[in-house]
Amino acid sequence: MAVATKQKLTVLNPEGYPPKVDARGMAPALETLQGKRLFLVDIGFENSGPFMAQLHGWLEEHEPDIRTEVVRWRDQHNPDPELCARIAAEGDAAIVGVGT
Amino acid sequence: MIDMESKYGIPTVAVHVHVFARLVDSTARTNGMPRARQAFVPAPMFNQPPAVLRGYIEGDDAVHGGPFMRRVFDLLTEPIPGEDLRGSGWERSTPRLIEPDTEDNLERLFRENHWTDYLPIVLPTEERVEAMLAGTSRGPDEVVGKHRPTIGMELWESTVEKAAVNAVMAGAAPEHFPVILALCASGDTGRQSSMSSMGNMVVVNGPIRSEIGMNSGIGALGPYNHANSAIGRAFGLASQNLQGGSVPGISYGGSQGCNLSYNCCTFAENEERSPFRPFHVHRGYEPEESTVTVFYVWGSVWSEHLRSYWQEKLQAMMSGLEPLEGALLVLDPIVAREFCDRGLDSQEKIAEWVFENVRIPARRYWDHIMLNMVHEQVEAGVEPWASLSKADPDELIPLFQTFGVNVVVTGGETNGHFSIFQGAQMPPAFRSDPTLPLTAPIDPWR
Repeated sequence: MAVATKQKLTVLNPEGYPPKVDARGMAPALETLQGKRLFLVDIGFENSGPFMAQLHGWLEEHEPDIRTEVVRWRDQHNPDPELCARIAAEGDAAIVGVGT
Repeated sequence: MIDMESKYGIPTVAVHVHVFARLVDSTARTNGMPRARQAFVPAPMFNQPPAVLRGYIEGDDAVHGGPFMRRVFDLLTEPIPGEDLRGSGWERSTPRLIEPDTEDNLERLFRENHWTDYLPIVLPTEERVEAMLAGTSRGPDEVVGKHRPTIGMELWESTVEKAAVNAVMAGAAPEHFPVILALCASGDTGRQSSMSSMGNMVVVNGPIRSEIGMNSGIGALGPYNHANSAIGRAFGLASQNLQGGSVPGISYGGSQGCNLSYNCCTFAENEERSPFRPFHVHRGYEPEESTVTVFYVWGSVWSEHLRSYWQEKLQAMMSGLEPLEGALLVLDPIVAREFCDRGLDSQEKIAEWVFENVRIPARRYWDHIMLNMVHEQVEAGVEPWASLSKADPDELIPLFQTFGVNVVVTGGETNGHFSIFQGAQMPPAFRSDPTLPLTAPIDPWR
């Protein structure tokens, strides 16, 4: 194996160019979930549907004052604008999953 | 989920499995919402019965601790600081040069920054990069393409010079550079961040194969040729560095990884000894054009010669593969001629034979991969998925459509070797630019 030189070298950075990060604001929190409508969004990966069904059952059993509805994301890799618009119009909050 | 918060104003908790906590954190930051609401359940999620899923819900958050449901409720009801209501944006860039240092220190820096494949690299000095740039007529500042580890992640951009830096690191020669540029511009990545641990197979066609001395004979898929080795390694290094990384747990999620990733299994088709049309001609190019095609592969089964029971053998070899992910038959010229002798004298006829003869029960077909990836098409009535979804559970249905079967010929005819790889090309939506051709031209990058 060649002995490395102690001479200082100038080399180029191999990384590409990242995009600008645009600020994305979070939605304000709710004061309470009681009496609110919570959408449970199945994004379509394996077992996310059964997970949301279990979550729906748990909430009905333990938090009956929270109204829940399970819905399915149309494309697991991209936002579903129609569903988002519906949740914004009819709901108060959402749980989305399960991201793998 | 980020859109649901920022665009639609819906307080939203995203649930993930815990092994992706660092990836989730990184994605939230680069989407301008560093403290997005996230809760974590244990892995695995796939193939778990309802009782286990209920246990996840009734258990603790697998990253933050404390009851999972308590965390979900807290995330939705605890006040959000003003800075998070506004979000956090910033400009980013990467410097052209690195602070001068000794060879040892620079090698260590490149390793620590995850810029290598952990084998020694050729340090990209300005002189070496300039020499690499002589391998193309393109200017160093020209944009080559956009890159990302997988669908849904941010797109980074590259220039000819950045590609040259990675080509130098891989030990490539200037005459290899047009192929490397074509790969960087292809919309594919040599470091795909799928949980399924896929690697790549890169097939070069056309006159450039002989011009740069690529191997399509004995040992074509092995470490026996400078161009094959260096081009494939350069594609891998360029992919990870131009796309913003390929770091386990952050920008790479393959559970086991794939050894094929070291040089993306890069080889030339043996057009001269193949009885079929060259692969790129099959794809609509002229024979005198040079091209490169990127496949995504998982593993292979192999055999020797098409013997008297060849149909039974092929059915057995292929029927355990996963539907949707395709089959890539890599044939020694001897075996390609044996297919011809049996009436299958083109890639199309082999694909049709597979479609007709390799079938599995619908219940198995529609489990796992198909269940995950195709339900949108089934619901939208897209064929053939919509019709196949109506099959009775025990009905035997085609494992692969004809478009999912590809045939490439390479090898040195020392025996009738053939491998069947689980492998396909990436669907357009998963590529960094869905409009790019699946077989990419090399000549514009000379």
